[in-house]
Amino acid sequence: MLEFRNISFHFPTKRNTIDVLHDVSFTCGEDEIVAVVGPSGCGKSTLLSLATGLRKPTAGDILIDGRPVKGQNRLIGMMFQQSTLLPWRSVVENVELGLEIRGEPKSFRRDKAVTLMRQYGLGGFERKYPHALSGGMQKRAALAQTLAMEPEVLLLDEPFAALDAQTRVVIENDVVKICRAGKRSVLLVTHDISEAISMADRVVVLSRRPGTVKEIFDIPFSRGAKSVADVPAMPEYATYFKRIWDALDISVTGMNETAA
Amino acid sequence: MTISWHNLIVTLGRLLVLAVLLLGTELGVRYGILSKLFFSSPTEIYHALQAQYGEGTLMPNIGITVFETMLGLIAGSLAGIATGLVLPQSRTLSRVIEPFLMVLNGIPVIVIAPLFILWLGLGLASKIGISVYIVFFAMFIPVYTASLRLERTLVDALWVMGANRWQIFWKVVVPSSLPSIYTGLKIGSGLALIGAVIGEFVASRSGLGHMILYASGTLDTPTLYLGIIALAIFAAALSFAVDALGHVLVHWRFADEK
Repeated sequence: MLEFRNISFHFPTKRNTIDVLHDVSFTCGEDEIVAVVGPSGCGKSTLLSLATGLRKPTAGDILIDGRPVKGQNRLIGMMFQQSTLLPWRSVVENVELGLEIRGEPKSFRRDKAVTLMRQYGLGGFERKYPHALSGGMQKRAALAQTLAMEPEVLLLDEPFAALDAQTRVVIENDVVKICRAGKRSVLLVTHDISEAISMADRVVVLSRRPGTVKEIFDIPFSRGAKSVADVPAMPEYATYFKRIWDALDISVTGMNETAA
Repeated sequence: MTISWHNLIVTLGRLLVLAVLLLGTELGVRYGILSKLFFSSPTEIYHALQAQYGEGTLMPNIGITVFETMLGLIAGSLAGIATGLVLPQSRTLSRVIEPFLMVLNGIPVIVIAPLFILWLGLGLASKIGISVYIVFFAMFIPVYTASLRLERTLVDALWVMGANRWQIFWKVVVPSSLPSIYTGLKIGSGLALIGAVIGEFVASRSGLGHMILYASGTLDTPTLYLGIIALAIFAAALSFAVDALGHVLVHWRFADEK
């Protein structure tokens, strides 16, 4: 379980201090997918880097299973927006990277990586280099890399933004399936309301900077859907979309602020 | 099929150009169209080769220049790689050192050369020193620039996976710099030879540079050409070797092209 308790984050610049996040609190329970949406620059990605320990909150606590996050944490895995596959390593070497860092023996990590790759439809591509893979396959490899370490909490930073619509649905379904099967806490940052409703159990709406929690929506209906692609056709979808859209309040004045 | 035809025509064309050059100088010099002072026929150059070889000076001269160049290239590259990788690890240190290195790099090597002769004497050491000096910058600048522009996300991703500083350095920083090391080697291999020969030009008792300068002073044009050709062959061989090494260094870029 991942818990944000009264998180504030200020970013000092040469001239002044930027308030990125202000008093943000919410939890992401076990076997739960929570999506964070908000206007660009509202600090939603910052939330993730705070959860990984890459940055420290100015105020507040982040807890995983009740214990505060201090520096690196084995329980956390993150999928970044940009590709984090190392171009000089073959795909299988990339998938086993986390285990290698942990000092797992070679045969163990290789077996695990190969098994995961087969599971995620990457069988036969072990010795290829990342650039030889399609965008969707690269994402699946990155997912396999993250999941090889069996994180309890999975952080996803707009990982599907660069994918084409079809591939995106396939990967989104994979992620939902994998997360449900592993009873993980999943925190997904996205700017796509539709993706948030389709994948998540709850949607946290952040305000413009400094980001505060505006509203939290329970999405009770999408969990039963066979595919994330079916969710927009469900009768409740439009209502939730409208409510979240209104909460986001992306007015013209808001768009003038530059993205951070 | 069209590709192989194309290759065949290219090869034949190259041989033709070579034949025209050789035959042109041979006939031109023999029939007095080209002055013997400025040009040498292939036959004359061959005689110079025999003479130099017979006196037992050619091979040592080649060997000395090759040795100076290789040592300069290896030592200069290693120093450039090490500095380029380590300096960016400390923002403060790199800010302190950077302007000094940039000023040093701006000084033309030809004016630095006498200083090296002064420090290290007339022997091989001064030539190797000059070579190391220019190769260092050819390697340092691309490696340093690449290290500064390191993909932050990759470092963050490894950190989140639990990597320590050392693991990040060896698994991300070093491999990220390999394409720049290849660039540095490509530029540096040419400069290593220039450094060695410049050193030999300024003051020396042996080496191909010395042989060329001596031939020039004694109006021994065929030997002058012989020295230039020997240098050209070595330069080409070195460039070929560096390219082969480059394919190993950045193997992933060539992996799926076959």
